[in-house]
Amino acid sequence: MSTDPKFIRNFSIIAHIDHGKSTLSDRILELTGTVSQRDMEEQLLDTMDIERERGITIKSQAVRVAYTADDGQEYQFNLIDTPGHVDFTYEVSRSLAACEGAVLVVDATQGVEAQTVANAMMAMNADLEIIPLINKIDLPSAEPERVKGEIEDGLAIVADDAILASGKTGVGVKDLLEAVVHLIPSPEGNAEGPLRALIFDSYFDPYRGVVALVRVVDGSIKKGDEVRLVNAGTEILVEEVGARHPKEVALPNLSVGEVGYLVTGLKDVSQVRVGDTITSRVGGVTEPLPGYREAKPMVYTGLFPIESDQFEALKEALEKLSLNDPALEWEMENSHALGFGFRVGFLGLLHMEVIKERLEREFGLDLIATAPSVEYHVYKTNKEMVSVHSPQDMPDPSEIDHIEEPYLRATIMIPPDYVGAVMELTVAHRGTFKTMNYISPTTVEQIWEIPSSELILDYFDQLKSRTKGYASLDYEFDEYKPGSLQKLDILLSGKPIDALSFIVHKDKAYDRGRVLCEKLKDIIPQQMFEVPIQAAVGGRVLARQTVRAKRKDVLAKCYGGDISRKRKLLEKQKAGKKRMKAIGNVEVPQEAFMAILKVDE
Amino acid sequence: MPHDPYKALYIHLPFCKHRCAYCDFTTRAIAPDSVEIDEYIDNLILELRRKANEGELAEIETVYLGGGTPSFVGQARLSKLLYALGVFMNLTPEVECSMEANPDSLTPELIRDIYALGVNRLSIGVQSFDDGLLETLDRIHDSARAKQAVLDARERFENVSVDLMCGVPGQTPEMFEADVQTAVDLGVTHVSVYPLTIEDHTPFRRMVDSGEIDDVDQDKEALMMSMAPNVLTPAGFHRYEVASYAREGFECKHNIAYWTGVPYLGLGISAVTMTQNDARRMRVQDGEVQDDLDRKQMCAEDLMMKMRMTRGVSDDELFAAAVVIPGALDVFNSLVRDKLVKREDGRWKPTFGGWLLGNELYGRIYELAP
Repeated sequence: MSTDPKFIRNFSIIAHIDHGKSTLSDRILELTGTVSQRDMEEQLLDTMDIERERGITIKSQAVRVAYTADDGQEYQFNLIDTPGHVDFTYEVSRSLAACEGAVLVVDATQGVEAQTVANAMMAMNADLEIIPLINKIDLPSAEPERVKGEIEDGLAIVADDAILASGKTGVGVKDLLEAVVHLIPSPEGNAEGPLRALIFDSYFDPYRGVVALVRVVDGSIKKGDEVRLVNAGTEILVEEVGARHPKEVALPNLSVGEVGYLVTGLKDVSQVRVGDTITSRVGGVTEPLPGYREAKPMVYTGLFPIESDQFEALKEALEKLSLNDPALEWEMENSHALGFGFRVGFLGLLHMEVIKERLEREFGLDLIATAPSVEYHVYKTNKEMVSVHSPQDMPDPSEIDHIEEPYLRATIMIPPDYVGAVMELTVAHRGTFKTMNYISPTTVEQIWEIPSSELILDYFDQLKSRTKGYASLDYEFDEYKPGSLQKLDILLSGKPIDALSFIVHKDKAYDRGRVLCEKLKDIIPQQMFEVPIQAAVGGRVLARQTVRAKRKDVLAKCYGGDISRKRKLLEKQKAGKKRMKAIGNVEVPQEAFMAILKVDE
Repeated sequence: MPHDPYKALYIHLPFCKHRCAYCDFTTRAIAPDSVEIDEYIDNLILELRRKANEGELAEIETVYLGGGTPSFVGQARLSKLLYALGVFMNLTPEVECSMEANPDSLTPELIRDIYALGVNRLSIGVQSFDDGLLETLDRIHDSARAKQAVLDARERFENVSVDLMCGVPGQTPEMFEADVQTAVDLGVTHVSVYPLTIEDHTPFRRMVDSGEIDDVDQDKEALMMSMAPNVLTPAGFHRYEVASYAREGFECKHNIAYWTGVPYLGLGISAVTMTQNDARRMRVQDGEVQDDLDRKQMCAEDLMMKMRMTRGVSDDELFAAAVVIPGALDVFNSLVRDKLVKREDGRWKPTFGGWLLGNELYGRIYELAP
């Protein structure tokens, strides 16, 4: 029995990080009896450990909820939880495309922040009906009236009737469910038309292969159907369809307007890309649903095992993670200094950190990550263009005509007091100021154009510290532009160490080289011999420091009992060395490779 | 387990008049007339008797009374202990019998008694002949007392050793050299040179942490350690171990036992016993197993410990070890390449730099079989 689209509501909850989206979702599940309080684990919708620890959502989720409204009618709600970080903007946009409405959650104490604006804009661009909800009104510092003003002024959304709620106490959640019924439109689509369904997320299940989360736009889909993905061309025999409550329940079919899951049996998640369109293999459509794009990494880093015998293990771990993460790109990289490893592309810094942490925690690997890089477009004198995302792949300067680097359009939200500090910081990071808007008396929005390479240094940390944590940042790729860029080499004991080199703007080369040499001098422990550290561009030395040779390191006493003691000491010494990588005969600690990220200016 | 006979006996006397600022040994300050000391000595004697009955003292070649401050427990108690020792084992003149002493409690009477009862080597904890440094170290004797103690000891004992410390806050290389010279002038036959180490849970550690005194300057200590031979070599001493200098024939046999993998029996609180056979080595302290090594580990440990000594290891010893631990030759060759070890007259010996960077040198050998 298919549900009449009239009684379906597909919506998403969007919010700035930490504004209480997940808690609110949990309350909805509880109030509709989807999950009993007893079975309720804190924040059911975030499933990975790391997601919970960091309070962020990385993968989208879709839960079907049955809600009997005050009018006595039972409605099918499909609640789509979206990733909560700027690294995953594209995934958010596809999740929103599966909805007719969105609940915009704003923290009653924090007000409108950068991602609130970014998410609201995305929801408006997707033509969604927006229900503003002011959350955490149980807090003593809640200022719902001020926040309403910010929503109206900053987002041009009428907020008079904004729902006042608390995910913690459950206040206002019932009002929200009624508002969903009355304000969010029911899905429209052609039940008889050829099948069109949007994939808004996919993941790998070890027992069933790739599972896609879909929204049926036209027609319907059932087990045994032969379907095709319009963009990828992949053909699939549908093994199962169903909905999640949030436990998966198989259904006879998914009909027009419905949201659910589809088991493909495929082994490779990259064949089932987010944003692709499912249609019938025979008699289907040829035109995909709009908005599809391939996930493109923004940050690249080299990942190398500290112990070279962990190379295969690292490869297998990356393969496993890729099963579930089509955005993860990787290829083998061979560094003179670090041996065999991988150059891995990520959607952003958070994505990078999460993956590195999972590799170390879930797969027990000891890794060295080299300084992150962006993808440069290098135009050679022979007119050829090469994409370079590792400094060691940079062609010889004599072959380079010019280099272009990616720029981002960054939106920064700050209280007016910090306008000057942000200006200063962002200009120092080669940002170009575009415009500034007063969202409310307490919030200013600045738009900047800034090279990605600057943002992936410690820009965000510095922004937070210079604004006492008030600033929020959102960004999207803008365009490639030419820049005076050069490769800065770091030499240890006179030998260039490829894994420490990085690409830098000409005007910054001297300062970055000098500060990095100083940092490395502190990070690299004294060795048995002197270790000169040099920063050089094209053979010209810009800065130099020296780690002096260790002259003495010995416990001289040695009686009977001291032998056991000495063993313990040597065991400790050995453990310390394990966290270092021997480059030539210099022992370099892990943090040396990330030192460039901590170069304060 | 069936084990090789113990060749060395260590007896620990954990009592002092006063605990010095750098000390982390097992000892405590106690009144000299405390009955606890008597009880402790009585227990040691019972333990000696038991070991003698079990036959464990039959092949002992060296005895060492350490502390704490053995001389602090006094003439009467030491006489009792040494008398018992002579009853339970064959304390012939060939057995090296050392005792540690502090200048403060080393009286001429005590010297005569212990000499008569079989002690034939005295190791005096002088540390320095500089009054200022002795105060810094919180020692209870002054320079004059230290000199007198050495002279008194020399009245009876041919074999007298002094401990000297380098790297003490306020100590210059010249001051250290003067201390070594004084020891030589007093006619000692053995000198141990220890760089000051700031140990955890000592007053010195707290003083360093609070900034009251500077942490040890490793470069300065290295310099001082390297200066000792300037005085000692012309005076006829040779350096036979990283911290030990002796006139020919006055090397400490007991300590050499520790450094050459000879099994030893330890009696008293915190004393370590090393029991072994061809396949296994165990070290036990206060009833707790500290180490339990297999053949490979034993073999690597022997190589490591022998590298404390000037003579190092012979080709034959190394080749034999390489049969048990195949990586041994590679490691020794890498040590030679890095100038921590030199190969001379069919032996592999630590270099001067290797001694100073002992943790690197020992660490690489240790890692052959950790």
